[in-house]
Amino acid sequence: METRVIVGLGSCGIAAGAGKVFEALRNIKEEGKTVFQLSRTSCIGMCYREPLVEVIDDKGSVIYGNVDEERVAEIVSRHLINKEIVSEWIVKSENHETIDDTFFGGQVKIALRNCGFIDPEKIEEYQSAGGYKALEMIAAGKVTPEAVVQKVMDSGLRGRGGGGFPTGLKWKLTLNSPSDEKYIICNADEGDPGAFMDRSLLEGDPHSVLEGMIIGAYAVKASGGVIYCRAEYPLAIKRLNIAILQAREKGYLGKNIAGIKGFNFDIYVKEGAGAFVCGEETALMASVEGRRGMPYKKPPFPSESGLWKKPTNINNVETWANIPWIITEGPASYASYGTEKSKGTKVFALTGKINRGGLVEVPMGISLREIIYELGGGIQNGRQFKAVQMGGPSGGCIPAALVDTIIDYDSVTSTGAIMGSGGMVVMDETTCMVDVARFFLDFTYKESCGKCTFCRVGTKRMLETLSRICEGEGKESDIELLEELAYQIKDSSLCGLGQTAPNPVLTTLKYFRNEYLAHITDKKCIAGVCTKLLTYEVIPENCTGCTVCAKNCSVNAISGERKQIHFVDQAICIKCGVCFSKCTFDAIRKY
Amino acid sequence: MNEIKITLNGKEVTAVKGEKILTVAERNGISIPTLCNDPRLDPYSSCFVCVVEVDGMRGLQPSCSTPVGDGMVIATDNNKIRQARKSALDLLLSNHYADCVGPCKQTCPAGVDVQGYISLIEKGRYREAVSLIKEANPLPAICGRVCVRPCEVACRRNLLDEGSGVGVDYMKRFAADKDLDDPDRFMPVTEPPTGKKVAVIGAGPGGLSAAYWLQQKGHQCDIYEAAPKPGGWLRYGIPEYRLPNDILDSEIEGITGIGVNIFCNQRLGGNLKFADLNKEYDAFILAPGSQKGTRLGCEGDEAENVLPGIDFLKQMELTGKRPDFRGKTVAVVGGGNTAMDCCRTSIRCGADKVYVVYRRTEKEMPANPIEIHESKIEGVEYLFLTNPVRVNKDSSGRVSSMTLIRMALGEPDSSGRRRPVEVAGSEFDMEVDYILAAIGQKTDLNFLDDLNAGTDKGVLKANKWGDIDADPSTLRTGVENVFAAGDSVSGPATIIEAVAQAQIAVHSCHGYLMGLQIVPPEKVFLSKKENFKKQSPTDYAGRFVPQKREEMPVLDPVRRMNFTEVELGYTDETVVKQEANRCLECGCTAFFDCDLQRYATEYRADQTRFAGEFNAFDVDFSHPFIEFDRNKCILCGKCVRICREYVGANALGLVNRGFVTYVSPDLDGSLTDTKCETCGLCISVCPTGALMENYKFKPGPIESTPVRVVDIFTSEGVTYDLLNRAGFFMGADGAPGIVNPDGSIGRQQRFGYNVLNRIDRITSPLMKVNGEFKPIGFEEAFALIADKIRASDPDDNMFFAGARLTNEEQYQIQKLARAAVKTNNIGSFHYMGRCKGYLDASDNNVSFSEMPGATAFFVVGAELTEENQFTGFLVSNSRFRKGTPVKTFTVNPSGSMRHKSDEYTVIRSYYYFILAVNHCIVTEKMYNLMYINDHCLGFTEYAESLARKEYKLLLAEAGVTGEVVSKFATDYTSNHNPVLIFSEKEICPDTAREIRNLAMLTGTLGKRSAGLVCLKEKNNSQGLIDAGISSARLPGNREIAANGSHALAAGKWGVTGMSEKTVSMKSRLFEGSFKNLFIFGEDPAGTAFDKDEMVKCLSESDFMVVQDYALTDTALLADLVLPAAYPWETGGSFTNTQKFLQRFAREADSPLAVNQLEQIAEIALRVGYRMSGTPDEILSEMFGFLTPNSEKFTIRPTTGPGKSPICDFGADMLSRQFALYFNGEMSG
Repeated sequence: METRVIVGLGSCGIAAGAGKVFEALRNIKEEGKTVFQLSRTSCIGMCYREPLVEVIDDKGSVIYGNVDEERVAEIVSRHLINKEIVSEWIVKSENHETIDDTFFGGQVKIALRNCGFIDPEKIEEYQSAGGYKALEMIAAGKVTPEAVVQKVMDSGLRGRGGGGFPTGLKWKLTLNSPSDEKYIICNADEGDPGAFMDRSLLEGDPHSVLEGMIIGAYAVKASGGVIYCRAEYPLAIKRLNIAILQAREKGYLGKNIAGIKGFNFDIYVKEGAGAFVCGEETALMASVEGRRGMPYKKPPFPSESGLWKKPTNINNVETWANIPWIITEGPASYASYGTEKSKGTKVFALTGKINRGGLVEVPMGISLREIIYELGGGIQNGRQFKAVQMGGPSGGCIPAALVDTIIDYDSVTSTGAIMGSGGMVVMDETTCMVDVARFFLDFTYKESCGKCTFCRVGTKRMLETLSRICEGEGKESDIELLEELAYQIKDSSLCGLGQTAPNPVLTTLKYFRNEYLAHITDKKCIAGVCTKLLTYEVIPENCTGCTVCAKNCSVNAISGERKQIHFVDQAICIKCGVCFSKCTFDAIRKY
Repeated sequence: MNEIKITLNGKEVTAVKGEKILTVAERNGISIPTLCNDPRLDPYSSCFVCVVEVDGMRGLQPSCSTPVGDGMVIATDNNKIRQARKSALDLLLSNHYADCVGPCKQTCPAGVDVQGYISLIEKGRYREAVSLIKEANPLPAICGRVCVRPCEVACRRNLLDEGSGVGVDYMKRFAADKDLDDPDRFMPVTEPPTGKKVAVIGAGPGGLSAAYWLQQKGHQCDIYEAAPKPGGWLRYGIPEYRLPNDILDSEIEGITGIGVNIFCNQRLGGNLKFADLNKEYDAFILAPGSQKGTRLGCEGDEAENVLPGIDFLKQMELTGKRPDFRGKTVAVVGGGNTAMDCCRTSIRCGADKVYVVYRRTEKEMPANPIEIHESKIEGVEYLFLTNPVRVNKDSSGRVSSMTLIRMALGEPDSSGRRRPVEVAGSEFDMEVDYILAAIGQKTDLNFLDDLNAGTDKGVLKANKWGDIDADPSTLRTGVENVFAAGDSVSGPATIIEAVAQAQIAVHSCHGYLMGLQIVPPEKVFLSKKENFKKQSPTDYAGRFVPQKREEMPVLDPVRRMNFTEVELGYTDETVVKQEANRCLECGCTAFFDCDLQRYATEYRADQTRFAGEFNAFDVDFSHPFIEFDRNKCILCGKCVRICREYVGANALGLVNRGFVTYVSPDLDGSLTDTKCETCGLCISVCPTGALMENYKFKPGPIESTPVRVVDIFTSEGVTYDLLNRAGFFMGADGAPGIVNPDGSIGRQQRFGYNVLNRIDRITSPLMKVNGEFKPIGFEEAFALIADKIRASDPDDNMFFAGARLTNEEQYQIQKLARAAVKTNNIGSFHYMGRCKGYLDASDNNVSFSEMPGATAFFVVGAELTEENQFTGFLVSNSRFRKGTPVKTFTVNPSGSMRHKSDEYTVIRSYYYFILAVNHCIVTEKMYNLMYINDHCLGFTEYAESLARKEYKLLLAEAGVTGEVVSKFATDYTSNHNPVLIFSEKEICPDTAREIRNLAMLTGTLGKRSAGLVCLKEKNNSQGLIDAGISSARLPGNREIAANGSHALAAGKWGVTGMSEKTVSMKSRLFEGSFKNLFIFGEDPAGTAFDKDEMVKCLSESDFMVVQDYALTDTALLADLVLPAAYPWETGGSFTNTQKFLQRFAREADSPLAVNQLEQIAEIALRVGYRMSGTPDEILSEMFGFLTPNSEKFTIRPTTGPGKSPICDFGADMLSRQFALYFNGEMSG
């Protein structure tokens, strides 16, 4: 067989330099020194090893990580020309053990089944990987919409956008809403800080989402589809639009789709203007209609009255991507993964202080410990694991003590966090939990649409209180105030943004109350993050009197003669930390 | 059925599925607070003040948008809900950088509404100003002279470049003096007697105030005063050069005048025994004051000629004798107002030298700075930072000198003032003859034992300062029916504080007398800018026109060696107005109808609980009618939504996200640059004072009395309230009426009151003598008119009645003409020469309430954004809510409907366009033959007449292509419920006829939610048709020539010899074949398109009478002008453009001795015909003429585009005035 070289050209790969790698390979190919097929794929999930280059030849597949132009040259000469595998750079291979094997060990790829394997810009590759089979099966088998809905219900799939509402049930409600017109929406307005599941999926396998939507349209009898994607995802939008064109050409979109008489359906991509709240379904629909993206009160639910006041079924990217697989492999196969109430798999974006940051798809029921320590390879720099933040600004922090929590909707919710759309930010001992709460509040306060009093003003006041605490001006009554406001904001906000905005504060208060108290009463930040609460001090035993610290101090807070022990005047020190970072003798202590 | 059962606060109630909880609760009498809900708009749910708890639902639910479900269990009030509502309010208020009331009112201990009375003073309504002041302070003339004026200190004018606060007291004094001089001075209304009696001890400011208010509440108040005359400190402490006794007496008369008795020389515990009083009185107010002087308190202070200052002042008043200080040196010790009174009095007693010895500096002196200033002018010298150490006596025990010591200022003490400390070794001596110690007073409680001996209802005690011990929040003492007020409770304080205490004591005492629980007066929530930041000059600089304070004229210093009042008072009203103009109006105009403030009070909201960053904006005054203060906006979005959903102008939007969101006109510009229609609905929906009317005067705010009226401008007939305060209209607001159950009103109604305020009303007949009008009596006027009528042939008289007049007036005027004068020369300038086509234009119209059922609106010649905004709201709301298309056909390429129409077609001629449409419908057989056969006459003739017309020519005249016409025809006929709207202002009578023909051809006339909406020009244009204001037609639109009509009238009116001759009023008028002109409620000279011709024509008359509100252009031409009362001053009825007859009551007093109906009847009587009647009687007589609508409609051919009007503005001065005013303001 002809050797194939595939470069991972997802946003993560491109950001890491995969574009140059691809160029280099193309130049080599054009020079003609060696013959190989060069193609592209998307993210396989190992973002921490990007750029990735896969070589497939007679000996099977080998993926090299951290490839740059130099490594390209070497891979070409050693692997392509000399047929010698460059074992030291392998990150994944069928025939070689690598230190990264545990990354894939626990994963089950259903939604991400094609990501990193096919060229997302070629419908043929999707088709040859089994794409559009599900749709054709439905067409061939004359499966009724009701039966499709039943399959989805049987699979136990729940909304992967974070809400966890049973997908089949949602479809059923929409199917049962009588109307001359219905719509399907794919919510691709991924906005949680640290989350990139949807982006990777759209970039890596847009057709799986389209096929899911087409099946959904058939099932609920919708005629129009909208993919609401944030404009900050240009590559995803580009590939979606390519995919839509290809699907139309192949007759998967348009009139009498897949030969099913009277099944007319089309999709267009609506680019969001960057408001986080537009990920909330009612605000999203308002935005599609050209109005200000502000939520309104449910009921009526979109299944009754949604886009343009017509019954509308909204699902998230990952949910849609699961659908074709469920149809082809059968609901039972899907339901064979997971726990009693949470079936199937879930995609997570692993970020933060973890060794292997990237995208993983795991079966429900896996423990946090497995994800963090086995897939994720543990904490960076051997530090202590402190907490994991799940669910983005709507979620919460699960402390290290609960690391054996298993991943399913109920277990995660019982910790005070939420499953969310899949963001998983790992924190270590150098993370200040009050600061984390402040970070998320700062996000939600800015992203509040400004409609509801509690969300608009309440989050602002919570943020101000947290800032005060971080700056050492907290009062004992602040905790009470935070809790009161938090519950009231949750109780009295129209949409998910407000209803969940206080979660990061509530969970950190629940598990890390001592950190709050330390900030307020002792005026100390245990993690050493809150600058105003830090003290920089010279450790006399280590100080050599080199004067570097004193020279670099912008406010002349450090005094001391050459070769004498130096001294930091706390009254002058502005806690900028320059001395700490400049000292080469570990003679500055920060606490 | 969709009927479901829910449980609301434990009670099962019925609701309709889909209804919102808030709606169901309101229907069941449960009020839920809400700031963002409006029944006109889709639920929004932003404020979260309306939250309720629903069993089984997470959190709290906004009741405005949560639909009820079967079996739902709802609680609308519990602790959790109240907490959440309070928090919502706290949060909203934490970003509400605004003042509810100005610092003046906030600072005034008695809470006198300074901004309110300044507003009344601005309008020259001094009596009203006094009435407002006296709600909180019964002593305005006194306080206007001697108050310590915390209001002026707090005044924000101080922050501007002039550095001097508004002369609040000077204005108060001016108003109060005016009122005192007025024979009809203000006296409050007292409630019916309760049978309870209250004894007040002490006739000082506290006692007088308490008695004044308790008496008003119906309790008999008797004041017992120890001194020979009432006034207390006011008389015995304040010298006459500051407060003349006649002013004091006069002000006290304002209190005794309502029934309060004052018994002097009655000293409690002396010649007056509490035990005796206790038998007679139900409750007591103790207000004996704090009048015991304090001794100097240093060695030698027992020396002769060392006196407490107040004894010195009091003695003088008691004896009427002034000490002779000539050649003497007087030292006054102290820095308060008593010290000032002592030193300035000493000067007036002839002292050579007067020193004030004060231990701090001038800056710390508690005395009024003006007093210090005046004393210096008068020659008083000051020894600051000086304190007496010792009084040195001569051999006879008199003062010879005083040893003083220098002081320095140390650390601030608890009062915040720097504590004076002695400078060691700085003693010095000063020779003096008299020392007056003005260093404080004490309360004399020598009646304590007597009181306690005389009651078994508790024990009166002294507190640790020697004052009466009373609960500070209720001022109830240890004796349950004894309350206390004034200095005797607080220790020596100010007059206004004594008045303030009297308010609390009165509140408690009244509660006690009425058997209520005694609680402190309700604390009203007040938002304050100071809660956010201290106000500084930079917050005000550049935002107001600088204007110097009008200073108080004072007596020349050389003429002050007497006790003549030094301050002379403002000299005239211009000065007062100028000073009033300096008021910055810090208080919110919406204060009396602010929902946020009301709820904040109810839920005891706390503006500072969530204090943090806040948004501050400049107030936007750029729109001439709408003021926009975003600081007060709570983002309920009502203005944005009503403008989009109801008005269709979409002039407002939300900018930004989150905390920094704000409401702004399109593109962040001025409202004037948007499609704003100046309807004012945004103002009416604003739950706070963010959107307010940009008032042309100082609005106060002042509570006003709503006068409920039916529209006097447009023909839609909406109901609204004119907000009346003492004859001045402070504003207008929509009220639910038959036509506008939601209370929506348009611009004429909302802003038209400004025109009323500008009208210079006439209240008596005016006769022109040598070209000048002079007032004459009604008697004389009637006699003159009767003479003129009698002296002429009946048909030499011409009568005109206007479309603004009530049905009753119109009817009586034609009856005057026909039955009394016996002529049919009756008509209106309004419909002159063009009435015919309009006669049935309003028959069988779609009612406003059915308009939402339309499936398409065809607007043909109607500017709904300007003339008929209410109709426009209905159209735009249907368009928003249901997508009902709006198709506009107009001759105006830049008409105001363009942005609110789905189709906008410019045509050349309405007449030919509609004719072409009808032609098309007939030739293409698109008509509804079944309907025509059932309902219409004249179809064949009409079809034939159309057939004679050449279609191409019609198209050419209409200025459109055949496609446009056939599209219109197809659209109109294929729509289930097409509604065609046209206005008589734009459409000529024959076009109106053809439009009616169109509705008949298509079978839409008279169908529910389909057919025509005719908009007439004036509020009672239809009345002209119904009341018989037409030469050829009797009331009820009966043709005079028709069988029996004439006889019917003759019979009803009991008159013989009525004329059957009818004329064209227009020709007759312009031919000049008449002698006497009688014009009621029309202003042809002011409104004619060809004014010169009209004036010339009117001038032809031998004798011309005009009846109107003011001297209109027409009235100026008249020989005799009769005054007219406003409709709400007589009562009556108007018939709106859809023939809804709306009666309204007499809501206000008329300034006229004889109103217009009485005038008409009187004129008739003078020419030998009696026709009286109340409006109700007149109306029922008119009903006797009405005929049922004929069962068949007649399709009538027309001959060509009809006549155009002679007069604009419906020939009405009000409409013209409004248009001039409105356009003038809008064009700046």
